[in-house]
Amino acid sequence: MRAKPKLAVYWTGGCGGCDVSFLELGPSLLDVLSRVEIVFWPALVDTKRADLESLPPRSIAVTLVNGTLRTEENVEMVHLLREKSELLVAFGACAHLGGVPGLANLASREEILRQVTGDGFQPAPPPGGDAADAPPELLPQARPLSAEVAVDYVVPGCPPMPSLIGPFFDALLSGDLPAPGHVFAQDQALCKECPRTREDRKLTRVVRPHEIVPEPTQCLLDQGMVCLGPVTRGGCGAACPKAAMPCTGCVGPTPEAGDPALAMIAALGSLVRAGDEGPAAFEAEDKILNALVDPLGTFYKYSLPAYVRARRAR
Amino acid sequence: MPNPRPDARGPRIGVFVCHCGKNIAGTVDVERVVEALARYPGVAYAARHEYMCSDPGQDVIKRAIKDHRLTGVVVAACSPTMHETTFRAAAEDAGLNPYLLEIANIREGCSWVHDGPETTEKAIRITRAAVEKVKGNHPLTPIEVGHAEKCLVIGGGVSGIQAALDIANAGFEVLLVERSPSIGGRMAQLSETFPTLDCSQCILTPKMVEAARHPRIRLLTYSEVESVTGYLGNYRVVIRKKPTYVDPDKCNLCGDCAKVCPVKVPDEFNRGLSSRAAIYVPFPQAVPSSYTLDEQNCLGLNPLRCGECAKVCTVGAINYDMREEWIEEDVGAIVVATGYDLYGKEKMAEYGAGTVPDVIDALEFERILSAGGPTRGEIRRPSDGKVPKEVVFIQCSGSRDPELHKPYCSKICCMYTAKHALLYRHNVHDGTAYVFYIDIRAGGKEYEEFVVRAMEDERILYLRGKVAKVYRDGDKVIVWGVDTLTGKRIEVAADLVVLAQAMVPSAGTEELARKLHIACGGEGFLKEAHPKLRPLEALTAGIFLAGAAHGPKDIPEAVAQGSGAAAKAIAILSAPTLTHSPEVAEVDEDLCSGCAVCVPQCPYGAITPGDVAQVNELLCEGCGTCVAACPSGAMRMRNQTDDQVKRMIRVALGEPVGVGRG
Repeated sequence: MRAKPKLAVYWTGGCGGCDVSFLELGPSLLDVLSRVEIVFWPALVDTKRADLESLPPRSIAVTLVNGTLRTEENVEMVHLLREKSELLVAFGACAHLGGVPGLANLASREEILRQVTGDGFQPAPPPGGDAADAPPELLPQARPLSAEVAVDYVVPGCPPMPSLIGPFFDALLSGDLPAPGHVFAQDQALCKECPRTREDRKLTRVVRPHEIVPEPTQCLLDQGMVCLGPVTRGGCGAACPKAAMPCTGCVGPTPEAGDPALAMIAALGSLVRAGDEGPAAFEAEDKILNALVDPLGTFYKYSLPAYVRARRAR
Repeated sequence: MPNPRPDARGPRIGVFVCHCGKNIAGTVDVERVVEALARYPGVAYAARHEYMCSDPGQDVIKRAIKDHRLTGVVVAACSPTMHETTFRAAAEDAGLNPYLLEIANIREGCSWVHDGPETTEKAIRITRAAVEKVKGNHPLTPIEVGHAEKCLVIGGGVSGIQAALDIANAGFEVLLVERSPSIGGRMAQLSETFPTLDCSQCILTPKMVEAARHPRIRLLTYSEVESVTGYLGNYRVVIRKKPTYVDPDKCNLCGDCAKVCPVKVPDEFNRGLSSRAAIYVPFPQAVPSSYTLDEQNCLGLNPLRCGECAKVCTVGAINYDMREEWIEEDVGAIVVATGYDLYGKEKMAEYGAGTVPDVIDALEFERILSAGGPTRGEIRRPSDGKVPKEVVFIQCSGSRDPELHKPYCSKICCMYTAKHALLYRHNVHDGTAYVFYIDIRAGGKEYEEFVVRAMEDERILYLRGKVAKVYRDGDKVIVWGVDTLTGKRIEVAADLVVLAQAMVPSAGTEELARKLHIACGGEGFLKEAHPKLRPLEALTAGIFLAGAAHGPKDIPEAVAQGSGAAAKAIAILSAPTLTHSPEVAEVDEDLCSGCAVCVPQCPYGAITPGDVAQVNELLCEGCGTCVAACPSGAMRMRNQTDDQVKRMIRVALGEPVGVGRG
């Protein structure tokens, strides 16, 4: 019998949702677990950094990393995992594009520390501990996994849905893996999977999800919700729009969309309509678009570190 | 010069820089551009010529394509709208696919707008950017398509009639659609025409009759265009023919019906200066010569309600059961000649128009002058039928007044006002005519002479200045104005005031333009593709403009434009097949999610939504709006991909080639 492939799962700056997301595989999780050997998965089994360090290079068949890179320790760990692994997978939106914690890049590290801990904070070891026990330094910016190490595959989503995790394990366990760089989601936007109808395409207002009960069959964009469906890869089955919530883009932009904010601004700018052309209409259209609260947080909810460069330190 | 460090593999692009006499070479160091490009990656050969568009210049390109086995060409010269066709044809002659040739515009975009040393640097960058574009170009083949051999002419005024006759005489079928019951348009309402004083109807009616009896013209009066779909050469038009309730083949114009009709409504043809019955013929020479029952004003189209007209019609022409007809036809080209209206005189409150009955507009005066008009050609004023002894004509009424009315010059008012005043003096020998004007614009053959004759021989008082106020005082209309030449205030107690109202596009022009997917300018007149070089064409291929729907113009111009539009239409109708540029948008079906964001962006209605968007190549004009709007990068412009554009931008900004992300 062939040896079971060795699996590692690690989290960096994440919420833990990605680790839990495996459970959504349901009974097929048992099948997956029975066919791999877990060598390192802090959230699931009692394994320590020392265990990892003791492994020979490239001895782990595949390592799934979730979470954004936020501390120096995160960076050390992913380099270590890269060294020990045959394949390294960015698992979930944070590792893929920076994720929700990446929105912290709108503030400097100093501003964040001041906000959280008050003035004069210095990372220090716990009382009685030695210097090595001090909390790790915060990086100046959150970064996606690929900014630090080579990434072989991406299983996107916040957290990844079983419809994306499943095909990844199928490919892994059958040995039929696609070319490196593959993102385990659709190349087409999720509108492809969305059952909502798009008849008279236009944006005549912008509303937030709590402000309306959307009509159940019509495209949410046409109803004024800023749905990122048109710029976001499918594969999730348009889960959010089916549940009357706009897509927030967790699976990441489609391969040719480029910067999702620019693509979405182009789409909204094209769709917005306030009567006939002319200065008055343009002014009214500005007004419609200005109703969009938090454009950066809307367009880059999961991807700010991947698309917006670090601001100059102030 | 050949590239000193040629690349054995990869593209072999030729760059040809034009001096354009001093137009380019005056500010751009052409020699330096050639040197810089000769050393540029991918360029195999670079040369210059005094006039690249000349035959010897084109030969330079043709020879180089063969001698240096070029795989692409950049001509650094004037705007592509000038000579792209010339150079692409030259490339094709030399065996290179014409879509592998691009123009770098270093004239309009560079040499004309800069001087100083950076002009040459900019020319180099523009040319390098074009080289980058050519590197990404693919050979393309024009799209061929058959076409219908019929033409739709919308509007039966003199311009539309002329277009219809010219097209029909060239051997093609014409549908001539007119929304009123008769063709003839505004010209049929005029009395006499400047500067020759021909009777307007006398010169128009032969053309009307010719159109009516022409075997290849199908006259659809009392009809409107409902919808237009399709594209150049293959338009599908739907026309609604309203019921006239009178069979034109049976009607013998005896007029008995109108005599018994109990309804009296204002007569549109006479601008409301007389009345007509609900069953009427707009004017005696109407074509088709038949009565029309106006259902809006008829008591009920029903023998139980009235039925008087049907009772007296001895030939049984009246049929209350007539229904509207829907006519669907395929046409290859469309001429739009929907004409003009006068700017509503009721908007001229400062001139008392709309409240003072003896303040009338120019077309009302035409009807008063006309032998077939409400006064049988005798000049009598509307309020009491008296012959006016003092008449004030006010020019630029509503024109050239950007604050309150229309900013533009209506072009014909100087001439027709001179004619009005002159005809008034011919009719009322002891009358006095005053003309208030801003200045006289009499550009046209024998126009100036005509105005001078009015001023000098006919002793019409021309007063340079604007009228401040017009109001009624007893049976007089008082006109206050200033003569700016003498500085004197002028007050005339007039009997009649005639306003030379601004010309505006006829009602419904904008709605029709929407149906045709063509554009209207700011003032609502139909917009041409290019104000100088394509004045007869709408931006949508296969649709042509004629007459005053396109802007104020006089009869000879409207007729000439009708003939011009006809020539344009005939060029399409007579072509064996039509070709369409292959530089159009295409959908990457592996990337398109069918989100349909592109669909409403397309000004040509070329995109059909679905599982994936579908572009109708023949409708697509390659504007690229859909490409910009597509959120997932699935829409691409052939030979103008994002990748090409990004490389061009990088090179234009001075980054070295091959740097940066793809």
